[in-house]
Amino acid sequence: MNEAAAIDAARVAVDVARSCGAHSAEAAVSVARRLHVEAREDAVARLEGSTGKGLLLRVFRDGRRATLSTSDFSAEGIRDAVRRTVAQAQLVAFDEYAGLPDEVSIATENLSLCDDAVSQRDSLEKIEEALRLERLIREADSRVVNSSGSHYTESAAVTALANSNGFAAGYAWTRVGRSTGPVALDGGVKRIAHYGTAARHLRDLETLESVATTAVRRAVDLFGARKPPTMRVPVIFERDVAASVLDDVFAAVSGANVAVGNSWLSGGVGNAIGSPLVTVIDDGRLIAGLGSAPFDGEGVPTRRTPVFERGVLRTFLYDTYYARKLGAASTGNSTGGGVGPSNFYLEPGSLSLQEMIEATPLGVLVMDTIGFATEHASGTYSRGARGFFIEGGELAYPIDEFTVAGQYADMLAGVDAVANDLRFDASVASPSFRVAEMTVSGN
Amino acid sequence: MFDEALLSRLIHRSLQRGGDFADVFCERRHTLSYRLQDGRIHDASYGVALGVGVRVVVGESAGYAYSDDLGDEALMQAAEAASLIARSAPAGHAGTSDLRREPVASLYHRELSDSMDPERYVALLERADATARRYDAKVVAVNALLTDDVQEVWIATSEGRFVFDRRPLVTLGIQVVASDKKERGSGYVGDGGRTTIAYFDRATPEELASDAARIAIVNLGASPAPAGEMEMIVGAGGGGVLLHEAVGHGLESDFNRRGTSLYSGRIGERVANDLVTIYDDGNLEEERGSLNVDDEGVPGQHKVLVENGVLRGYMQDRINARLMGVESTGSGRRQSFRFSPQPRMCNTYMPDGDASFDEILSSTQRGIYAKSFAGGQVEISKGDFVFMVGEGYLVENGKITAPVRNATIVGNGPDAMMKVVAVGNDSRLARRHYTCGKGGQYVPVGVGMPTVKISSITVGGTQHE
Repeated sequence: MNEAAAIDAARVAVDVARSCGAHSAEAAVSVARRLHVEAREDAVARLEGSTGKGLLLRVFRDGRRATLSTSDFSAEGIRDAVRRTVAQAQLVAFDEYAGLPDEVSIATENLSLCDDAVSQRDSLEKIEEALRLERLIREADSRVVNSSGSHYTESAAVTALANSNGFAAGYAWTRVGRSTGPVALDGGVKRIAHYGTAARHLRDLETLESVATTAVRRAVDLFGARKPPTMRVPVIFERDVAASVLDDVFAAVSGANVAVGNSWLSGGVGNAIGSPLVTVIDDGRLIAGLGSAPFDGEGVPTRRTPVFERGVLRTFLYDTYYARKLGAASTGNSTGGGVGPSNFYLEPGSLSLQEMIEATPLGVLVMDTIGFATEHASGTYSRGARGFFIEGGELAYPIDEFTVAGQYADMLAGVDAVANDLRFDASVASPSFRVAEMTVSGN
Repeated sequence: MFDEALLSRLIHRSLQRGGDFADVFCERRHTLSYRLQDGRIHDASYGVALGVGVRVVVGESAGYAYSDDLGDEALMQAAEAASLIARSAPAGHAGTSDLRREPVASLYHRELSDSMDPERYVALLERADATARRYDAKVVAVNALLTDDVQEVWIATSEGRFVFDRRPLVTLGIQVVASDKKERGSGYVGDGGRTTIAYFDRATPEELASDAARIAIVNLGASPAPAGEMEMIVGAGGGGVLLHEAVGHGLESDFNRRGTSLYSGRIGERVANDLVTIYDDGNLEEERGSLNVDDEGVPGQHKVLVENGVLRGYMQDRINARLMGVESTGSGRRQSFRFSPQPRMCNTYMPDGDASFDEILSSTQRGIYAKSFAGGQVEISKGDFVFMVGEGYLVENGKITAPVRNATIVGNGPDAMMKVVAVGNDSRLARRHYTCGKGGQYVPVGVGMPTVKISSITVGGTQHE
């Protein structure tokens, strides 16, 4: 299905919704061709390639709404499912904020979201790439004895949106990724690490060599790790872990969480929350960004929104529904039923990570964490972690089986150094940064 | 809906280049859900998934392709795409394509006549909301989600097996937020199973919502969690998340066949204190993780994973069982037709020991009582895990003294299992709401456990003296 056909399918779904009794409707159609190659040792362990499609239809009737998601595009299948969805909407309470956005439009500039080279590339080359990554991790260090697989993934897709106010548009996009999971063995201890990279364009991907080196370093550097003492010290979050902290910051500024009281930042707009080093941007128009799109899930134009400026919380992020509910305007962050990040990132500073470590007399470098936030209401951060103990500005010894904990509010206020290593490998990204003091629990 | 003749042709086509075996997984799924927020039905949704996945296995390699277009040409293209894996691999023999329909067990409770009567869903949610708000004036928000899901699968294999299964799954999840102006606390309770919403006549929304509100109030009044090493009492039922993370994932056969798990090659060895026995069971009536047949068409089984501290077996799917020279244990599962199967857990639990709860509590000098977990994660090579405590208390001198909030537990699987010093006589399965994620695929699971004491674990709070 090409872009025009996807737009047609979305228009048809809107018409069916209207004919089934919806007063207004919005349909998003996506069609994606995906390929996943997994290599392990010298063989292709997995070769998966499919084209899949999906329709997400939102129907509104008398201020009541319901949502349909389906992969069944047969005329009969759509009609039956839409009829049931419209019937379901009758049981939903009247909600004055439910409905289509007032303003929709399509960006005129080219956001460079699609790389034709992805589809044109020979499939044997893609398979060879995964095999080569698998060889590179084994060459990088003799302790790499095994792996959980090396991967090449790609998607080439079109996304189309139509609504009953006449909006109809679509765009094509691509996404490519490479990742690997080396397993290293030393002194009877096995360590696995995962590292990967992703981009819209093949040419923007981190090289295979660099992916292999980083993944292997993360596995072997931690041999001999011990538990650190329990203490309060400065904590440096390395780039990928820093991005996971930004994921939680996004959750706290999401209008959907603020509206239901599930955010520690509720009521905080205009306040100085972070240190002056904390400037956080949500940019839906970043050229070739993985979180970029010409319009959001409701057809609202995407934009660049400063969320924190020098520590001051400027705004929450909204779709149409939560903006109306909270008396604001949509920031173009609709996922078509929720609020999601565009390219959400912490502005980089000027130090390298190495310089930041050198400027830390005593502290902890966190390279990886496990665990996740289960609720954002109280704003408590706590994760299992591994990394390095820092003494005298040097990585003294590796540490694991400890936790790092604190309140998000204290963490943002305590950011006292930000590095220059920002990379947009996902829609939420961050450079490495240091927090002046957190609780490390070990022995 | 999917007949033998069509599936035979797909298998035949998928093995045209050779292969050790092939299978076809057809799925039709309908999911209905209603969400309550701000005291009213906030939104409703309906989901349909319909498609076919074709897999060809050659040695350690698998080719997979799916189609959500059920036209002949599209399905044949998927079979063709899956067959490409055999291009570079030495081709084995192609199996039969004569399919025999086989009967399956019936572990689920659902009458075919059960209609999805929408008024009943709405009433259940409204009862939950009213109960939670009545529970305490500090309750400021109630969010509840009721989901009714029916997945039908048709699975055909190149050995000629053909099975159909119809899997119901209902879930009611209730989140309650309490506030005293200064602070907030939240509580979550979920339940359901492979049955109909009539289940909530037994586990009533009043009972579930009261409990969620109770936890929210406990957490509102809770102190920040302590930091450092201490004893831990793991609560009966929901504590089973510990087994799932600390041991279960490490015993899935893909990690063990590839040698990436710390449990690889250790069957027959001691991996836990001899008080520890762990089962994984796909055959428990109504449980979330139960399966009449798994997603490769193999019947669900009762598996002994660890017996008196000794490792007894792994959870096997077909590819890994074949390569390891054993039988599948009915553990091959997938999220949907869009994914190839992986070895996964079903319902993982520990049977009764002989200590009473009071004995365990009174023997604990300084520790944390993790009554339930809100989630967890493990790294399977070294076995390090982390858990987020959903409801937790400090234990001092044999007594529960004060609730603590936002505690994270960090440890190492085998280390923690060696430090199990008491197993209670109160084993039970947890309320049914757990979902397990692995490699981007999410499947419903069950967990269970008696009260268990672990002599030392690291608690990752913020309070450090």
